[in-house]
Amino acid sequence: MNLRIPILKLKDVLIVSIQWELDDQTALQFQEDLLTKMHETSARGVVIDLTPIDFIDSFIAKVLGDVIAMSGLMGAKVVITGIQPAVAITLIELGIRLEDVMTALDLENGLEKLQQELEA
Amino acid sequence: MNKLMATFIQDNLEEIISRWQELMKDDSEERFFQIMSQDVIDKTSREFAELMISNLYEGETNYENRLKDFTNKVVRFGWSISFVMKAITHFTTVVYTMLEENGTIREENMKEYVMTFAAWITPMRDGIVETYAKTWERTVQLQKIALQELSASLIPVFDKISVMPLVGTIDTERAKLIMENLLEGVVKHRAEVVLLDITGVPVVDTMVAHHIIQAADAVRLVGAKCMLVGIRPEIAQTIVTLGINLKDFTTTSTLQRGVEQALAWTNRQIVEVEED
Repeated sequence: MNLRIPILKLKDVLIVSIQWELDDQTALQFQEDLLTKMHETSARGVVIDLTPIDFIDSFIAKVLGDVIAMSGLMGAKVVITGIQPAVAITLIELGIRLEDVMTALDLENGLEKLQQELEA
Repeated sequence: MNKLMATFIQDNLEEIISRWQELMKDDSEERFFQIMSQDVIDKTSREFAELMISNLYEGETNYENRLKDFTNKVVRFGWSISFVMKAITHFTTVVYTMLEENGTIREENMKEYVMTFAAWITPMRDGIVETYAKTWERTVQLQKIALQELSASLIPVFDKISVMPLVGTIDTERAKLIMENLLEGVVKHRAEVVLLDITGVPVVDTMVAHHIIQAADAVRLVGAKCMLVGIRPEIAQTIVTLGINLKDFTTTSTLQRGVEQALAWTNRQIVEVEED
């Protein structure tokens, strides 16, 4: 079974909601899909929502970081939303600080932040 | 032999006690003998001596219970453990010397007496150490719980702004608790800015700073901003001297200025209402 993560387009923003724990294969697939979609739609921003996720391992975290860097290269800003407290603690303990990433409490805040960032 | 000794001690109680007190006064750093009135000292000494004697009647039954009683009472005197140990040592020294002086202990039965003394004293010491240890453990446990109750609650002060006042020393265990409470609170209150107030933290060393930085990073990950407020002059000095990098942080000296800054971040400000 190879589930793909749906990527939705809303105006010039792509919205991704990750609903289940990613395995390595899906994560890489997602990276490719997102970049392709970004190229097709020439989106200026991406929101990745992680609310339902309560576990992230170092590989997935690395992929997320990579995706964000790659999106930056393609001229899009990324906001990650809904990181759970437990996930945040795990990431910090793994030493993954996601330093240059914008974050927000939930999708709504995330979109708002992205809008502000794009207008600026 | 125990009976003999017990009767001997009973008969010479006055002298033993006075000699014992002399020894204790000479030797002890404990303030007990310096600040207490002679009456109290006498009374306590007698009580202590009686406890010592009662342990000599080594009727197998009941012995354990009596020992427990004894140790509990000794602990309740409120003496320090080293003081109690000294008291016991001196007491036996006095008894031994006196027995030697009046000729009960001689060359030929010395070994026997030494054994009796050992059998008399050792369980007492063991029991006392154990009881003290238990008391201390209980105290530590209680204090730990008290500390946990004191530690780290996140207080929402304005819409989107919360404050966590930190009071007391931060160790690894507490830092964990703080981080958990902080993150749960941020999500629960939907805070966008969190102010960590370290006015009440006596020392900020590299470890504490590390914990604070970690907490702030985690807060950023869940989508809020973290500000460090309440930095006292001496804290600022230590932070710089230790070379801790807090450059990624917004820091202010007082909570008040922190709140103003937080309001500015959320596009608000405090204005005075004009009276008419």
